[in-house]
Parts: sequence; C-alpha cells; structure tokens
Amino acid sequence: MHSFSYRANALLTFSLTILALMCAMASLTDNFNSPSPTATVQILNVNRFQKRSNGDDEVAITLNISADLQSLFTWNTKQVFVFLAAEYTTPKNTLNQVSLWDRIIPTKEEAKFSVKPKNKYKFIDQGSNLRGRDFNMTLHWHVMPKTGKMFADKLVLPGFRLPESYSYR
Amino acid sequence: MGFIGDQIDSLKSLKVRQALEQVITLGMIVSSALIIWKFLMCVTGSESPVVVVLSESMEPAFQRGDILFLRMGEDPIRAGEIVVFNIDRREIPIVHRVIKVHERNDTKDIDVLTKGDNNDQDDRVLYAPGQQWLQHQHIMGRAVGFLPYVGYVTIIMTENPIIKYALIGALGLLAITSKD
Amino acid sequence: MDWQGQKVAEQLMQIMLVVFAIAAFVTGYIAGSFELMMYVYAGGVVLTILTTIPNWPFFNRHPLKWLDPSEVEKHPKPQVTTSVSKKKPAKK
Repeated sequence: MHSFSYRANALLTFSLTILALMCAMASLTDNFNSPSPTATVQILNVNRFQKRSNGDDEVAITLNISADLQSLFTWNTKQVFVFLAAEYTTPKNTLNQVSLWDRIIPTKEEAKFSVKPKNKYKFIDQGSNLRGRDFNMTLHWHVMPKTGKMFADKLVLPGFRLPESYSYR
Repeated sequence: MGFIGDQIDSLKSLKVRQALEQVITLGMIVSSALIIWKFLMCVTGSESPVVVVLSESMEPAFQRGDILFLRMGEDPIRAGEIVVFNIDRREIPIVHRVIKVHERNDTKDIDVLTKGDNNDQDDRVLYAPGQQWLQHQHIMGRAVGFLPYVGYVTIIMTENPIIKYALIGALGLLAITSKD
Repeated sequence: MDWQGQKVAEQLMQIMLVVFAIAAFVTGYIAGSFELMMYVYAGGVVLTILTTIPNWPFFNRHPLKWLDPSEVEKHPKPQVTTSVSKKKPAKK
C-alpha cells in the first residue's frame, strides 16, 4: 500500500496541485497593479495619399510615437504587445480599426521609447472615405503574463485629420 | 480439502470483482473528463475552450506547446485580440492577432484581418484563395488565459503515434493492475 | 516503512510542500521575479522527495510485533489464520 511508487505518485500529484495554485495566485496579483501609461503620437508627414485601382483610398504616413509603458510590467509579465491603430467611422462602417504600427516589448527597460516609423501595415479604407477624414489614434497594449489571465487596454488620442485631397506624384 | 477450495473460490470472485471495479474506475475517469470538457464548452461559449499552440507564428507570446483558454463572449471582435479561426477546407485552427477590423453600419457584420506576431506578412496568404477578410463564422474564440508548456505532451503524442499508444497502454495497464 | 513512519512521511510531505510553496511565492513576489519563485519551489520539491520518498531508518522506529507462531497453535481458530494471511500482503 505505502510503497515507493505510491509515495512518489502522491508527492507528484500534490506538488503539481500546489504549483497550479501558485500560478493562479501569481496571476491574481496582477490585479493589484494599476498602470498609468502615457503616450504621444504625431503625424510627421503624409508621404502618399491616393486612390487604388479598385477604388479604395490608401495613405502612407510617417509617425512619431513616444510612450512610457513601464508601469504595465509586473513580476508575472512575459511581454507587452503594443500597437497603434487608426480608428474612424464612415457612412458604411460604424467602426474601422486599421493597425499602423506594432512592437513587442520584452522587458521593462525597453518600455520607454520614442520612434519615428513609417506605417508598417497599409492604411487602406474599405471604400473612398479618407479625404478630410477625422480619426483617432489609439495606442493599444496587450499584456502577456507568464501564466494566467491576459490584460488589454488602450489610450485614445483624438484629433487627427487626413488631407482634403490626394497627393500628386 | 473443502476449506482450501472455498478459499480459492473467494479469491477468484474477488479478482472478478476487482477487475470490474477497475473497469468502472476507468470509465469514471473518462466520463468525468468528458463532463469537464462539455462544461467548459458551455461556460466559455467556444467550441473548443482549450487549444494547444502548434506553430511558432506567435512567438515570443506563445510557443509551441503552450495552452490557451478561449472564450467567445458577446463582445464584438476588436483589433489586438488574439483569436482562433478556422479557414474553410483547412483542418487545423490558427491562433493569430487581429490587426484590422471593419464593422458594417447596418448589419453589424465584421471584416477582420489577422497576422501572426512572428510573421512578416498578414494572413491573406493563409486564407482561402481570393479571401480578403475573416467573417464572424470563421472565428472560434478569443484567447483570454495562458498556461505555458503544459500542452507539449499532446504535441509529442500527435507527432509520434507510437509513444501515444505506448502511453495509453501503460496507463491502462497501471489502472487495471494497481490495487489502491 | 512502518505504520507510524507512513503517517509521518505523508504529513511531512504535505507540510514541506506547502511551506516551500509559501516561501517561494513570498520571495518571488518580493524580489519581483517569477523565475526565482520557480527555482525556490523546485528546490523545495527536490528536498521533499529526498526526505519522504526513500525508506529512511527514521521511518522504521516502530516495528510491528507479530504474534509468535506458537501462539497460533495454542488457539487453533480458522478465523485467526485467514485474517493474518489477509493482512500480510497489505503490508508491503
């Protein structure tokens, strides 16, 4: 009854149960963290603004993004995925979210940065609605834990506007 | 010698009983696993509430063998969420991040574009020929929780069926022969 | 391992694991390092394995005193023989 393998089995089961409990508790401690990230975004230049052959508008821009996301990191954070999306409404769509740029932040030290990228993903509308369009830039972040629950939130930066006319090449 | 005969008979009946008990225990394990699975399906509203990551396309967020907990939920899909989707005529579901969302005004239909964090290109190359967007029916759930490494066993088992059958056999043998 | 030893081993295993888990969690949380928590707990598990799984002499301080076979001959009851023969395999 109380053999070597019986004791080994009991120990394995019990230790794994406790391990699972510890991970769950570690994930719970993330709730105590109330982050206060800050960010500013500018459009430095509209490089190209045109209508594609299928009738959809496309914009190419250069951005200036500086952000401090260090407060998002806790001891249970594996990485933070941050991305910038243009969000706007058109007569046809209640919501358009177009990612322009993203980055994976693996450590807290790299969570404070300032970059001037071109849009990484194409900024294409479903239709021809971008001329003079007001839109919000939203900086989203997804916190990947080492174990447990994932967190996500965003910062809305309003007041952006695209040019009234297409650019000429 | 009637006394010894009785003893042997009682032993024999004991063995049959024990064997039956083992079979019942085994059945209980299988059915309780099934109950848990179905219960999770109910709670999360997702067809497969737990998936194992099979590809490297989402590294470093998810590695091969990590387990994801899915939820469907009522909320609409938004950019940045990690969704599990199924392309028509493709057997294995894919876990990728949403990068573009267009939600229709009248019908509330959505067009979604996804991309793996570790991939250079968006997922249009993975979609069915000519498919530009994912719609709601393609999406099986969104990832809400995460557990590292635990799913690696299933990857080993699907890649080496011999190990799978050996393991099932060994476990079955253990369950039948153990006398706890 | 005798009866007393089995009880001690089981309790020791549970207490040690829980204590190490708490210690690991606290050190990990204070140091802000998930890895440290894992290492401390792994160390605790190894230590627990070494303490409670091998059959240390410590667990055999209360050996069972079996009746002398001559006692059985003095009281020839069949029930006694069966109960003894049933108990024996359970000892292991």
